[in-house]
Parts: sequence; C-alpha cells; structure tokens
Amino acid sequence: MSMIEATGVHVRFGDRVVLESVDLAVAEGEFHGVMGPNGAGKTTFFNVLTGRVKPSRGAIRLGGEDVTGLSVHRIAAKGVARSFQIMTLFDEFSASDNVMMGLPEFRARGLDLAHAAAGNRQFAAKASEGLAAVGLAEKADVRAKDLSYGDRRALEIAVALAQEPRVLCLDEPTSGLGSDGVQRLTALVARLKGKLTIVAIEHDMEFLFSLADRISVIHWGQVVARGTPHELQQNEWVRRSNLGRFA
Amino acid sequence: MAAPILVLERVRKVYARGRVMRRPTFTLEADLALEEPGIVGVVGPNGAGKTTLFEMMTGSNAPTSGRVLVAGTDIHRVKYRERDRLAIHYHQSYQVRRFHKRVPSIFLAPSPTLAPMVHLFDEPQFNLQDGYIGFMLDFFRKLRQEGRLVVLCMHPTAAWHLDILAEIAGQFLFVADGGVARKPDFGSLVAEPRFRSYLGPEMTRAAEGICRRGSAGKFDA
Repeated sequence: MSMIEATGVHVRFGDRVVLESVDLAVAEGEFHGVMGPNGAGKTTFFNVLTGRVKPSRGAIRLGGEDVTGLSVHRIAAKGVARSFQIMTLFDEFSASDNVMMGLPEFRARGLDLAHAAAGNRQFAAKASEGLAAVGLAEKADVRAKDLSYGDRRALEIAVALAQEPRVLCLDEPTSGLGSDGVQRLTALVARLKGKLTIVAIEHDMEFLFSLADRISVIHWGQVVARGTPHELQQNEWVRRSNLGRFA
Repeated sequence: MAAPILVLERVRKVYARGRVMRRPTFTLEADLALEEPGIVGVVGPNGAGKTTLFEMMTGSNAPTSGRVLVAGTDIHRVKYRERDRLAIHYHQSYQVRRFHKRVPSIFLAPSPTLAPMVHLFDEPQFNLQDGYIGFMLDFFRKLRQEGRLVVLCMHPTAAWHLDILAEIAGQFLFVADGGVARKPDFGSLVAEPRFRSYLGPEMTRAAEGICRRGSAGKFDA
C-alpha cells in the first residue's frame, strides 16, 4: 500500500487549468522527486497533497485513507508536513521556539505562547533534539530572522520534522542556497532518507538525481515521465543535456 | 466504425474589417480528416493562421462556416467548460482556455468523452540544456499509444527542431496562403516549394540532410 497516493488530480482556477490529471503513488520510506519546468503545476500539486487547495476532481489517500478535501491542519494532524518555496518561519522567535511550535503536544496546549515557551523543559528538550538533528544545536537561541539563509532552510525542516510526520513534502529546499548550503542540505536530507516518506520538488538536478528513489516529471499539468534516476537518464535527449551529467 | 478523431469539414474562417463595407483581411480554409491516433506536425510562416487553426480545432474560435468534429461531436456546440474533454490547446507551457462565449452554456451539449482525444501543443518550449525534450517527446508517444491525436506546432529555427519534427511526427500540415496542405511524411513536406522558401536555404539543406539520413541519424545539435 502506498503511503501517499494521488489519483486523477485535476485543478482549475476559473478558466485556467493548472493540473490536468496527476497520478502519483509513493511507497512508505520512498524518496520521490518531482521536477518540471516553471509553471508546470508542481507547487499546486503540493498544495493539493497538503490540503491547501481542494482538487476539482481526483483523490488523495494517506496510508489508504481518503483525505481529499480535508483542511490543512487535519491533513497535518494525519502526518503530512511540508516546507515552502518561500520560507515561513516566526521571524521574531528563536530557532528553538520555532521548533517547539511545531510540536503537536505543544500545539495541543493552545497558543499561550508567552507562558508556554517560557517554562516547559520537556518541550525545550525535544526542540533542541530537533535542532541538533539539522545541525542547529548551537543556534537554538538565535532569532529566526538573524539566521543565515541556509540555517533558515534547515530550521524550516526541523519545524516540519517536529510534527513527527509520516510524509515530508519539501518545496524546492535548495532554492536560494549557495553550493555549500546545497551540500549541507543534501547531507541533511540524505540522513532523513528511508526514515520517513519524502516528496520533494526540486530544480537542482544533482540534488534530486543523487537522492531520489524515483522521479516524476510534471509538465502541462500532468506526469509526462516517471522512473528511477537511472531510467530517466536512459533517454537519448536527456543524456545529451545537462541532466545527463548527473548519471 | 468509430468516428474519425478530428474532422475539419469545409471549415472557413474569415476576418474582415470595416463596418459597412466588410473587406476580408484574412481567410483560412481547411477540409481534412485525421482518422487515426498519431502525431501530426504543423508548420507554416507567421500570420498564416496556425493559431487560428488551433483555436478552431479546440473550440475557442468558431469558424465562419463549416464544422469541427472531434470524435464525431461538433466541438463548437459543446458546453465551454467541457470542450477540454474533447480537445486541449497548450500554448508553450500553459493551457489555453479562453472561449468566445457567444451562446449561453445552457443551450450547449455536454461532452461525450471524459478524457481529451486531441492534444494540441502550440510551440512547446524545447530547450536542449534541460533535457525535458526527451520526456516531452515520450509523452507525445504515450498519448498516441493511448489512442489520442497529438498536434504539434513548431517554428523550426534550428536544425535540431527539424530533427524533432522528423523523429516524432507521422504526417504534417503545412499552413500557408489561406489553406492547409496535408503532407504524408517529412520527405514530401521538404519537397514542398513553399515550405522550402519558408525555411530558407540553410535550413532547407539541413532538412534535406535529414531526409537522406532517414530516421536513423537523429539529433545533430
């Protein structure tokens, strides 16, 4: 059974069709890459997976359960976490507080941040664990807005992981990073690989081709190709292009 | 026998100017039937009417006279929102869904099919660097295998554009001088004098080279 599965997902905004019909089944523990030209519908597809956009047709199943049309927080509660192409952190809060706010048990207490963030050692311990996992142990008290771009990317992943998700969706995790930032992020994601199901949109082909178990190519609102990195690189036109370099 | 996938039945489109004395400024005529699933290349000079042809095929621009039948249904008599279940028009990376709504949808018929039978790709952006060409061409082949008709419009400006056309398309439509000429293969397209003059001498030599090599020597970037 697939951990997360989309069947016939169709999305239109008025007269504009963004997704024609997308099918995707990702097995538990699989790292599935999603690539495609700009405007192909990749981010909209993520928005459907995570409940931000309700598909006009089609269905999303999580661990076999139909979650189509559920709200963002319902789907999150069922174990889907995501990062964004444009980062969404609480800038004024420390790295540690950001991660804490991702913890489900912390959220269950409600939003009395001033008190909650101050006292609870158990939460703080969990947050520092989460930060250590992404290499931010030393920056727990730094405000999110004072972190470097690469650290913010890592922090965003720590926040997503704090939810202990079954499925982690990464929307262009390497965008805006320099080459050492990409290296660090690649190493971080490589450590996560196999521990949970990951779906990642990415333009950085080296990142995707080195990490993904399978890749789906989305174009014109549909999956135009799918396979292992090795299979995709058998294509004659791919071999002659820049993509071929990452074989 | 099932209806042909796409029929342009004595289709004529006239654009005219002037309120009192209507003077035609543009005319396009087409009368042809594409019966089988396959990949059809469309080429022709700018302003010849390729886009108008595509718009008529996908139901977004009604012909002045004649009918466009997709899988036996007159697409211009189908509800606007359901026309994409018959034919889809992709312009570069995007889908075109603008219809001139002349009749309220309530008076129009539902689409008989759920999945589109005709896929028109209007100048898809091919880029040698990113490698997506291969996936796009395989996608066209997959649609053909699934029994769809793929219509691919290209402006060949480099020799490898011609390679793509020769590799992928089973037949061709050459749009020029207000008409649509059907060519059964790449060789007969290249033999067409108007196509040669549209290509220019250098590209014509490249096209002839492809004809000589046959389909074996693909991809000379």
